[in-house]
Amino acid sequence: MARFVTVAKADSIQPGQIIKVEIDNFPVAVANVDGTFHAFDDTCTHEDCSLADGDLVRTAVVCPCHFAEFDVRTGAVLAPPATVPVRVYTVRVQGNDLQVEF
Amino acid sequence: MAAASTIAIVGASLTGQSAAATLREEGFDGRVVLVGAEPQLPYDRPPLSKNYLRGGMPFEKTLLRPPEFYREREIEMRLATTVVRVDIEKRALQLAGGDRLEFDNVLIATGGRNRRFPIPGLDLPGVYDLRTIADADRIRDAIVRGGRAVVVGMGFIGAEVAASMRQCGLEVTAIEPFKTPLYRALGEDIGRVVEALHRDHGVAMILGDAVAAFEGKGRVERVVTRDGRRIECELAVFGLGIEPVTEVVAGTGVRVDNGIVVDDQCRTNVPGVFAAGDVANHFHPVCGRQMRVEHWQNGVKQGAAAARSILGRGQPYDEVHWFWSDQYDANIQYAGFHAAWDAVVVRGSLAERKFLAFYMAEGRVESVVAINQGRDLRRTLPIIKARVAVDPARLADPNVDLRTLAPAERPA
Repeated sequence: MARFVTVAKADSIQPGQIIKVEIDNFPVAVANVDGTFHAFDDTCTHEDCSLADGDLVRTAVVCPCHFAEFDVRTGAVLAPPATVPVRVYTVRVQGNDLQVEF
Repeated sequence: MAAASTIAIVGASLTGQSAAATLREEGFDGRVVLVGAEPQLPYDRPPLSKNYLRGGMPFEKTLLRPPEFYREREIEMRLATTVVRVDIEKRALQLAGGDRLEFDNVLIATGGRNRRFPIPGLDLPGVYDLRTIADADRIRDAIVRGGRAVVVGMGFIGAEVAASMRQCGLEVTAIEPFKTPLYRALGEDIGRVVEALHRDHGVAMILGDAVAAFEGKGRVERVVTRDGRRIECELAVFGLGIEPVTEVVAGTGVRVDNGIVVDDQCRTNVPGVFAAGDVANHFHPVCGRQMRVEHWQNGVKQGAAAARSILGRGQPYDEVHWFWSDQYDANIQYAGFHAAWDAVVVRGSLAERKFLAFYMAEGRVESVVAINQGRDLRRTLPIIKARVAVDPARLADPNVDLRTLAPAERPA
């Protein structure tokens, strides 16, 4: 049953920043794009690399290992070598609590 | 270009499929024919020395595009088909078996083949090299049989194969004629880091010595070196680099010099004939000289650039060349224009194998190598492209955001 899980304080993630959180031991990345938060699987669909270790370029996250790119809003692949989209999650802010639907 | 025109692409691998896909993305509605010597649909080669070789990846996962991708875009696939010659005057490909395929424009994306040297015993069963999926399958079978392996040549392919075989539990000895692995690309200091990486994972390393012969009765049993070492083994893999495959244009007037010579828009000296990928000795506008590279990223991007150039929408191809090599838990990345350097600036820790090393010439960053520092490596690309002097102290300081050292990016 999906529920919203508080993963961080909203003001702890600066615009342009990505953090890695764990929900039920599962790594999820949360990115702040100009004040809007986006959550997605932290593990790149190409190989086992943490997307939170990569750069956020506008709305694209760039995997640090092989430079695959995904749209953080939709999970769509923007650049190879990845071919499979990354899963995205619904995010909401309650007060200062950043919550991810998981 | 007339709608009914035909664009033939010789070589159905990374570069060729990227060009074909780009032609359709750009709205070209003529005929696109991808001709490839191998029987498989275009597949990704980087896993062949890594995950695929270790048995951790099925073949289907290596396909660059699913089969329907080509059908939906009406990209004609002529696989298992060897092009004998590009007939420039008649604008046709001569195919093995006598068929001809007429074209209006042709892209040569034939890539490379493994270099072979006249070493006695090189053709013995049990001595392998790696370029194709068929090669990888042969080595994989040998790995499954197990035993002692010798890797000849610790360039990137040799180093990756050595790592994969260790990860599969084989005893591995590596022989490298230079002082360290990857010596020519990375120099001695960083080469030593890669040497330590392999030694720490149990590879026996023989440096500064070369193979004199592969010996065995009907099958390789040992490798003998120039200095007289004898290394018993059940299999050997050599990685001695590649040479560009240019025979299809031999004698046609298309200029060949360390590959097919093209300008910064993938154009050869013959109108309507283009080249891209490993085979293309291209003019690079950022550093102002010809170069030929054998990188995955160049295959993708130059293939796309060639497609646009064929359609008359070419732009100077000015990517900063970049590649990766995964060995054990080390993600090694390299970017830039391999050239002479007068200083190496290190940011991070060589001992912990978490660093960037900047290769400097006259105060500029010519190229950079990183281990497990991919984000910072990517932030270095604009610095390399800018070709301006950078303060080495700031490069070396991990508290300095590398993005602040690059001039503002030009608008796309």
